Amino acid sequence: MDKSKDRLERRCPRLGGDVSFYYCRTSSDDSSACWKIFDCWWECFDVVDYLNKYLPKDKFNKLVNTKPKPKMASLVELIEQAKKRSS
Amino acid sequence: MQIKKVFLSEAEMPRQWYNILADIKMNPPLGPDGQPVGPDDLAPVFPMNLIEQEVSPERWIDIPDEVLQVLNIWRPSPLIRALSLEKYLDTPARIYLKNEGVSPPGSHKPNTAVPQAYYNKIFGIEKITTETGAGQWGSALAFACSQFGIECKVFMVRVSFDQKPYRKSMMEAWGAKCIPSPSTETNAGRAALEKDPDTPGSLGISISEAIEAAVSDKTGKTRYSLGSVLNHVLLHQTIIGLEAKKQLEKIGEYPDVVIACAGGGSNFAGLAFPFVYDKINGKEIDIYPYEPAACPTMTKAPFVYDHGDTARYTPLLPMYSLGHAFVPPPIHAGGLRYHGMSPAVSQLVTEGIIEARSVTQLEAYKAGVAFAKTEGFISAPETNHAIAGVIEEAKKAKEEGKEKVILFNWSGHGLIDLAAYDKYFAGELYDFVLTDEEMLASEKVFQDHPKPQLLKSR
Repeated sequence: MDKSKDRLERRCPRLGGDVSFYYCRTSSDDSSACWKIFDCWWECFDVVDYLNKYLPKDKFNKLVNTKPKPKMASLVELIEQAKKRSS
Repeated sequence: MQIKKVFLSEAEMPRQWYNILADIKMNPPLGPDGQPVGPDDLAPVFPMNLIEQEVSPERWIDIPDEVLQVLNIWRPSPLIRALSLEKYLDTPARIYLKNEGVSPPGSHKPNTAVPQAYYNKIFGIEKITTETGAGQWGSALAFACSQFGIECKVFMVRVSFDQKPYRKSMMEAWGAKCIPSPSTETNAGRAALEKDPDTPGSLGISISEAIEAAVSDKTGKTRYSLGSVLNHVLLHQTIIGLEAKKQLEKIGEYPDVVIACAGGGSNFAGLAFPFVYDKINGKEIDIYPYEPAACPTMTKAPFVYDHGDTARYTPLLPMYSLGHAFVPPPIHAGGLRYHGMSPAVSQLVTEGIIEARSVTQLEAYKAGVAFAKTEGFISAPETNHAIAGVIEEAKKAKEEGKEKVILFNWSGHGLIDLAAYDKYFAGELYDFVLTDEEMLASEKVFQDHPKPQLLKSR
């Protein structure tokens, strides 16, 4: 994998501070990419082409096609997961 | 002397919040099973009085006296006319800002943290958990909980925890416990640490930890709190716009343009929703949420004929472009970027009642510095996006020769974000954009395209 982009940094609109591209491509569940990665990085280099090249096809397709869940749905899901973890 | 600041007395503070759900139609929120989310689904994390507000169809909701007493610490916030900025821009526009940076934590966030702490308190809750990224929300909730004698635990994403140590200090000064996430306090945190002990954390893990900490308290005295997106959060923030309306009315003004930056939507909604209400009822007013769009194309890219879309459906247009793969499809201007946005704000964009706009990061900092040099205040980086929007509108007013009234939300100060300004001053923002090699590769895209002329009108 070409890691030349990993040290690039930009301000994360979700965290309010600088993060590296490496963080963006690994910070979600199961070390997958953040759902905003295309939004945040498309101006800096061809992030679509880059991830298409280096991500397994199923992971790339998931990233492209999966929209983040509405907040309420994700909250309910997190509540259920937390209940299971703490039971 | 011209009026610089407009104040309201405590007695003039609005006594009700405006609930936009009374005036727009929205699909009900659905749970993971596809069924509408019911109050019982949310009861493990929110007190029922807040759940009732979340789904209330009432247009006006009373603000409890106990909440007003705490808001009195800094509210009503001043409405300030940006006379120096107007002069600097040589614009006929009159620019007003609502200064939300005067709150103890320095942002608009406590407008909802305070009522949320209050409603938890009267529901019998003794401890509130939350997650925070930059720390604005965590510090707002810490402050609010201290006012009502509630314990507060904040899971702060480790990468931010390390970058912004003063946020932790603020939270601790208000008696809250701020923990870097992932932590060893929850199963979610422990699992993340087991996978990678050096993980910088993520908002996802922090939210999981905060929710687990609330759900796993067997006494039932712990709940979770969220600082943006949800309806009750936006409701509490409308005190900003309601005050602004009263203040403008005092001096015989009404805005032509309303602007605020938009992340999750709460500060935008806070200022804009009371004016959206007017617009729905016939007022002519332009309302713009501004988001980041740090596009380097104008400064770094070659001037070429290129397609305006990735699918190459549009005709070839002369433009500064890094290749159509780099050009934002229209969805980027107001679609994709709105995935993390409040459903109510998204609905208004969809209906065309408000129009999403974006500015580049460099434009935003440039605007923030111009604002600091003229009006004195150093803005939070997010707030700079709104200021850039204001400057754009003020320049437009000059071109059109119109005396527009522009109102914007100065949502917070940037005194704990000065490292971001340092990077801007050092020229470190976006200096990595493209190597010459990448630029050459990019330009290959255009080799078969006709070459535009660089024409000058004067």
